[in-house]
Amino acid sequence: MNIVVIGLSHHLSPVELRERYAFAESKIPDALARLRQSGIAGEAVILSTCNRVEIYAASPLPPAKAFSEIKDFLIRNGGVTDDDNASSPPAEIYTLAEPQSLRHLFKVACGLDSMVLGETEILGQLKSAYQLAHGHKHTGAKLNKAFQRAFNVAKHVRTHTNIQRGSVSVASVAVELAEKIFSAIAESPTLVIGTGETSEKVARALFSRGVKNITVTGRSLDKADALAKEFGGRAVPFENWAGEFEKIDIAVSSTSAPHHILDRTKLEPLMKLRKQRPLLLIDIAVPRDIDPAVNFLENVYLYNIDDLQAIADDYLKQRKEEIVHCERVIEEKVKGLLENLQPPLSEGVVRASSYIKNMNG
Amino acid sequence: MNYYLLFAAFALHTTAMFRRGYSINACPVNNLYEATLFIAWAIAAAYLGLGMIPRLRFLGAFASHLLFSMGVFALMPALDAPYSSRPDFSGTLTGLHAALIFLAIGAFGLSAVAALMFLTEEHDLKFHKLRAIFSMLPPIERLERVMNALLLCGIALFTAGLSLSPFLLKQKYGVWFKSDPLLDYSIFIWLFYLGLLVSRWKFGQGGRRFAWSTAGSFAFIILTFWGIILLSPVHHP
Repeated sequence: MNIVVIGLSHHLSPVELRERYAFAESKIPDALARLRQSGIAGEAVILSTCNRVEIYAASPLPPAKAFSEIKDFLIRNGGVTDDDNASSPPAEIYTLAEPQSLRHLFKVACGLDSMVLGETEILGQLKSAYQLAHGHKHTGAKLNKAFQRAFNVAKHVRTHTNIQRGSVSVASVAVELAEKIFSAIAESPTLVIGTGETSEKVARALFSRGVKNITVTGRSLDKADALAKEFGGRAVPFENWAGEFEKIDIAVSSTSAPHHILDRTKLEPLMKLRKQRPLLLIDIAVPRDIDPAVNFLENVYLYNIDDLQAIADDYLKQRKEEIVHCERVIEEKVKGLLENLQPPLSEGVVRASSYIKNMNG
Repeated sequence: MNYYLLFAAFALHTTAMFRRGYSINACPVNNLYEATLFIAWAIAAAYLGLGMIPRLRFLGAFASHLLFSMGVFALMPALDAPYSSRPDFSGTLTGLHAALIFLAIGAFGLSAVAALMFLTEEHDLKFHKLRAIFSMLPPIERLERVMNALLLCGIALFTAGLSLSPFLLKQKYGVWFKSDPLLDYSIFIWLFYLGLLVSRWKFGQGGRRFAWSTAGSFAFIILTFWGIILLSPVHHP
């Protein structure tokens, strides 16, 4: 049996195409049962996430035959089937046989094939997909070995390389910066000025790291109130936000004001009230909300959207540099797995090969 | 690993100091070599004490360099001058006085280490260097707290050590106070550190200026202490 992969991913397929072939989790066990009953695959796992729909199968058929059969199966069973174009397989579907299929599985597990390079969410999704198939007895010796090895490789890569080091999103970089300034960010009161999408993301990232005290202010008090409620915080009228500076440690600003809403002359007396405690200012507004000159004030750390993006880009660059290292590890592990998956030679074959060896020697 | 290596070195250092102390029947703080090593020992002791809290073990990353430099400095041959006569500093009170002062200098040294870490990280954060996030340094707020605690500890030990001086002078010279370069210098150091702490409590002095003052004060001690000791007729008869 050969392990093959047939699927669609964010690399080639737009979301409109991926959603057409996506499997609802509740329907996966039945789909797997049908796939196995059809004789196309002896073992199978379906991975269906927002970025990919993939079928991993151990098939007794020759790869070319298995590809066309599984493609048909995907068209018939995946997502919406009453589409006009559903009868012909889209060109974006990729097909991989051993050893590329195993290499692909390992890359997916390590986050090397993800939209956000090195992310770990996919490993959890892969584990769930495998557990679902395994729980319904749709996996056997081949896929069990391959998936277990993939999880081990992902763990190895995570601990021995820097592929997952740092944050590659602006919101997570902001949280990391806060963690470098404050010893317990959970205890750091935060003020969100403006209810824009990015500031909401940063607030959400801080909230997910345990920040409890979040105050939101915006020109629309209703919007500010709605956002504050999501974090169990409170809203303050926009005119009063400066009054909060005495208490807060972190301020995230993203208003649509055409000028600076905070400058050095305004912040200087506020810093005295704060008794010079460190203050992290995240300015993600364009045009900027905070005068860059405030960064010259002692104990003030100002980062704008470009600064955060530059850090995120640097992280991404460093992750990309790690790809070669990860691929070397993967190559080694694929080789090991292939040797492991080889069926043991029968006594006759061993005898014949040693005879040929002797004849040549 | 760093912590345990320093712990092993500290154990060997303590044994060597005990042996030396027994051989002269006094606390081994009688010449520049001994004084340097005693301060290094005090810094290591302060670090190992703080390092019992795992999240404060980061200090070892900088402290080990300082300890190594002090060890190399102490090995300069002229520093370990042979005693011309029986060491002048003998007796429990003298030993306690010297030990408290040197332990205080050790605490000041370790606070300077925390200050250097603070300044490095603060500079990186201020100028948006990526290494601010990549470095293994703890948050600057914690470093500031450690600096403050060590200074407090140092000033308490220094005060205790300095308060024994009148009794020693009475014992040796029959007076409660005698002008001496090292004594005047010590009072100046004590006042300076006290001023540093008062400015912090009273005027919220913190951050970079506080760190510079802490690191600068210790650099001043390290550069001047040895010279002043040589000028002191009381301590270097």
